[in-house]
Amino acid sequence: MSLLAVSNLTKCYRRGDKTIAAVDDVSFHIDPGETLALAGPSGSGKSTIARLVLRLIEPDDGRIDFEGSDFLALSGAALRARRARLQMVFQDPLAAFNPRATVARVLDDPLRVHGIASRAERPRRIAALLERVGLIADLAPRAIHEISGGQRQRVAIARAIATKPSLIVLDEAASALDVSVRGEILKLLLDLQRQEKIAYLFISHDLGVIRSVAHRVILLDAGRIAENGDAQTVIDAPQSAIGKALVAAAPRLNRTLMRLASAGLD
Amino acid sequence: MSPLRRFLRTPEAVTGAMLLAALIAMALSASLLFPGDPQAIAGPALLPPFQDWSLPLGTDRLGRDVLAELFHGARTSLAVGLAAAAAALVVGAVVGTLAGFAGGLVDEVLMRITDAFQTVPSFLLALAFVSVVGPSLGVVVIAIALGTWTGPARVARAEVLSIRERDYVAGARVIGMHPLAIAFREVLPNALPPVLAMSSVIVAAAILTEAALSFLGLGDPNRVTWGGMIAEGRAVLRTAPFLSIVPGIALVLTVLGVYLAGEGIVETTAVRRGLS
Repeated sequence: MSLLAVSNLTKCYRRGDKTIAAVDDVSFHIDPGETLALAGPSGSGKSTIARLVLRLIEPDDGRIDFEGSDFLALSGAALRARRARLQMVFQDPLAAFNPRATVARVLDDPLRVHGIASRAERPRRIAALLERVGLIADLAPRAIHEISGGQRQRVAIARAIATKPSLIVLDEAASALDVSVRGEILKLLLDLQRQEKIAYLFISHDLGVIRSVAHRVILLDAGRIAENGDAQTVIDAPQSAIGKALVAAAPRLNRTLMRLASAGLD
Repeated sequence: MSPLRRFLRTPEAVTGAMLLAALIAMALSASLLFPGDPQAIAGPALLPPFQDWSLPLGTDRLGRDVLAELFHGARTSLAVGLAAAAAALVVGAVVGTLAGFAGGLVDEVLMRITDAFQTVPSFLLALAFVSVVGPSLGVVVIAIALGTWTGPARVARAEVLSIRERDYVAGARVIGMHPLAIAFREVLPNALPPVLAMSSVIVAAAILTEAALSFLGLGDPNRVTWGGMIAEGRAVLRTAPFLSIVPGIALVLTVLGVYLAGEGIVETTAVRRGLS
């Protein structure tokens, strides 16, 4: 059975007297340990789908089943408890953390909220999480704004895996980083997936990255699914008009770089 | 440059800090330098200042030591000013955060209540409250806070409205944090700087309001207040003007000191935030 099953998801925004469908009758599923990529031009509804799946915004219509139960039926404490299994990594790692927070506090929050570790045990857990994502434990007392962008994104990943989720939504999680750091972060994500069997909903505009990390891809256009299939097949030979346009728009240099990066990942 | 050094290089800020320090020293030393009741008779009535060095600022109509009254009055002014401002800031920040973060009906109800308080002139509100409940220090503090919490509430709400859309608030929800914990742990501390920037104006206004209430005879009757001293001196304004002028000057310097020091702190911290 699939881990996440989304059916007929619809979200409309009203602007003046016009109604614009940001997400229009979208259905897909993700299996355990699988990476499904969402790609498409700006405004195609990628991030809206991510926020709908995470219940950060509520859909107008449709159904979301997560780990075999109706995710949209949950509310209050039951929803907050279930959130442990469904995490997110944001695009901008600086905006994703409270500007006053330290690394330790950021990692302490999920452990405390979900009662995963006692107060005395938490510093040890935090150190273990930092090491898990390739950082040194000495980083814990530092403020979030004092560490580098790549370190910050590693902390964000550590926070996401703190509650042992089965699915992580990665909203352009590697896009804001420079090329060398991006490769390391992608490698870390793939390692975690292999070891912990975490599934990813991988949102990106970068077809090169998607081709190298995702199993399947969905191409979106104006809130609808334009094309859907095996990541390498779709990107190598897109059938839809938007797929062809996206592949043509991806700069050749970028594809070459990604081939190098994916060679490093294997 | 450190914020402290930048603060010390601003002449207005240093003047304000010195005035404030003098006021605090007066308030703290009042019972050491002038033990006993400042309202007790200490000498002949209406002794002018600088005549008798045991009573440097002279005596009032009943023969009470003006300098002792001045020192004890500093206590009341400072206590009421700080307590009322603190109460107004806390209530305002909490109401503003709840309204801005919850939105919808909660926001609507809280902001209409804020409107209701804001449409009544704050001094009138304080006057009405004290005359109904009766004058005492605590009541005066509540009365002043009642009319001043609306400003901080509006500023806090506006700040919260922009903060609640940030990614880190969404991140806290994804983590499964309780909405109240998000409002008070994640959002409120980041909404505070512009609210705290209002504190110097609020403290200054609170001190003036307390003086005005005392002037009208609605202050705590068991405490010496500068407003009460001015009111007392008014009866003999032509024969002994110093009785009104001395506490009047003290009041002006205090408000000026609070305002200048507060502005200095806001300026130096604002520059620091701009740089980082």
